[in-house]
Amino acid sequence: MLARMDTIRVALAQLAPSLGELDRNLVRHHELLEQARADKADLVVFPELGLTGYQLQDLAAEVSLRLDDPRLADLAAATEGLSAIVSFVEESADHRLFIAAALLEDGAIRHVHRKLFLPTYGLFDERRFFGAGDMLRAVPSRLGLGLGIGICEDFWHLTVPQILALDGAQILINVSSSPGRDLAATNEVGLGTATSWRTLMRTYAQLTTSFVVFCNRVGVDESISFWGGSEVIAPTGAALLSAPMYDEGLFSVDIAPADIRRERIGLPLLRDERPELQLRELARIIAERAGMAHDSTSEPGAEPGLDLAPGDRSPHPIGFRREAEG
Amino acid sequence: MTSPVAFELPPELAIDTDIARRVIGEFIRGQLGQAGFERAVLGLSGGIDSALVAYLTAEAIGADKLLCVLMPYRTSSPASRSDAEEVVRRLGTASELVDVTPMVDGFYGPETDASDLRRGNFMARMRMSVLYDRSVTWGGLVVGTGNKTESLIGYTTIFGDAACAFNPVGDLYKSQVRQLAAAMDVPDSIIAKAPSADLWPGQTDEIESGFSYPELDRLLFWRIDKRRSIDEVVALGFERDLVERVDRMVAGAEFKRQVPPIAKLGPRTAGVDYLYPRRRPGSARE
Repeated sequence: MLARMDTIRVALAQLAPSLGELDRNLVRHHELLEQARADKADLVVFPELGLTGYQLQDLAAEVSLRLDDPRLADLAAATEGLSAIVSFVEESADHRLFIAAALLEDGAIRHVHRKLFLPTYGLFDERRFFGAGDMLRAVPSRLGLGLGIGICEDFWHLTVPQILALDGAQILINVSSSPGRDLAATNEVGLGTATSWRTLMRTYAQLTTSFVVFCNRVGVDESISFWGGSEVIAPTGAALLSAPMYDEGLFSVDIAPADIRRERIGLPLLRDERPELQLRELARIIAERAGMAHDSTSEPGAEPGLDLAPGDRSPHPIGFRREAEG
Repeated sequence: MTSPVAFELPPELAIDTDIARRVIGEFIRGQLGQAGFERAVLGLSGGIDSALVAYLTAEAIGADKLLCVLMPYRTSSPASRSDAEEVVRRLGTASELVDVTPMVDGFYGPETDASDLRRGNFMARMRMSVLYDRSVTWGGLVVGTGNKTESLIGYTTIFGDAACAFNPVGDLYKSQVRQLAAAMDVPDSIIAKAPSADLWPGQTDEIESGFSYPELDRLLFWRIDKRRSIDEVVALGFERDLVERVDRMVAGAEFKRQVPPIAKLGPRTAGVDYLYPRRRPGSARE
């Protein structure tokens, strides 16, 4: 790993992938990598499924890549002296399909993150077509900083940015294909989806005292339009770069790693985190939700709810319960 | 600059019209591009929905790539035609006049006891046929112009005005169509006049259905977009009878909004377990 750099130039490739056209999108990635290199970028981030487009449905199996695919090796080879995050459909050796994001550095695939949370509600249907990842790890990078990679919905779960930060990430990176919706005039920047994401990114940056990089695609797949609005947020929660909504382009900003130390010394939230407390309480909640322990926080007579197993009315765990008395 | 014409816009339905124009513009270009087309064709009635779609399409791809087809029937209002002609004049699009009277009267004959419903549906399907023919001669995709309100309550003709290659305004309530039309400087006379299917003189949507669009739009917004229960919308001030009637209309029109089901027999069935994007590699025309 290189020594920490004084500044890191982050380039966000806010592109509009062509749906299902892997070869065409590969060409576009190579072009943008070259452009970023010419702009002296250190880290280039592409959006979720930038190599394939989002609304794939049954096309997913036709555009999937094994990690030993020469086309990925070619893309990695274009990252000499660079770090890049690219996203595609990964096919595992046992033929499971994942939405994946890979960290490519100095010609090699350094890390692959498989999307953990697959939204299957509202306009989303990901669980039908993809498997969910099982691993969440921060990864060291040639930038001299730990990176924490998540894909879109992963960052709608509090645990993801927190675990990544606790695991050593100093830059949290979210790659997204976020469909824009809710044009109510009362929304900040005119779009409900944008308002939500902007709030999340600033909150995560502040609570994890980390940089947050959000790269969202633009363009249209079928009915849905992707809104762009990619951002880089400082550990203070202040926005350093807000790319325009809906415009395709490569947008860059310099970040200073020294800001991480400054913020973490002044606001030592990570120092004060209590992962062991979380682990203990989570173990209890898991047992109670599974009916393997009596729900210790429910009101007497409470209806079954999120933290209360159905029918849990007695101190006896399910499977060991006696007939109700009287 | 927005048009000074007055119309009622319930506050909860107000949208950011700049974002709407941007999204719809990308959508129109995306739909055409993925299909390998540069041109578009639509039926221009003189009403606000098709006028707005003409403005949006002209903005998205250029007026020279849009063909507006005016398709009056002998009972259509002359004002409708002059309003449609004004849209064509202001935008500078290509246009064509196709009188559908011979087609409709040729089928039913001049003396007929066919109901207005049958005749209205037939007219809508003749217009659809003309548009799909012009889709070939003009080399453009047919752009739909139906709004969300009429789609939800089923005030459409299946395979008639509901038929299209894509629809840029099908997720906008009528009130939002008016708001966007005003923001795009659609002629005031079109924004201000009472919406009508224009099947017979004096017909208006609101007289025929018995409720006003702003009221209906608000009700649909709370019931559907905001998932409020019947009791909850009654508590918001809507009459229970109206709520229940509209609920029945929405449920009764479910079939108009969906692709007809295919009996499941084989291993893979379109729309069931053969699921592809409408446009994918290889599907654009050469």
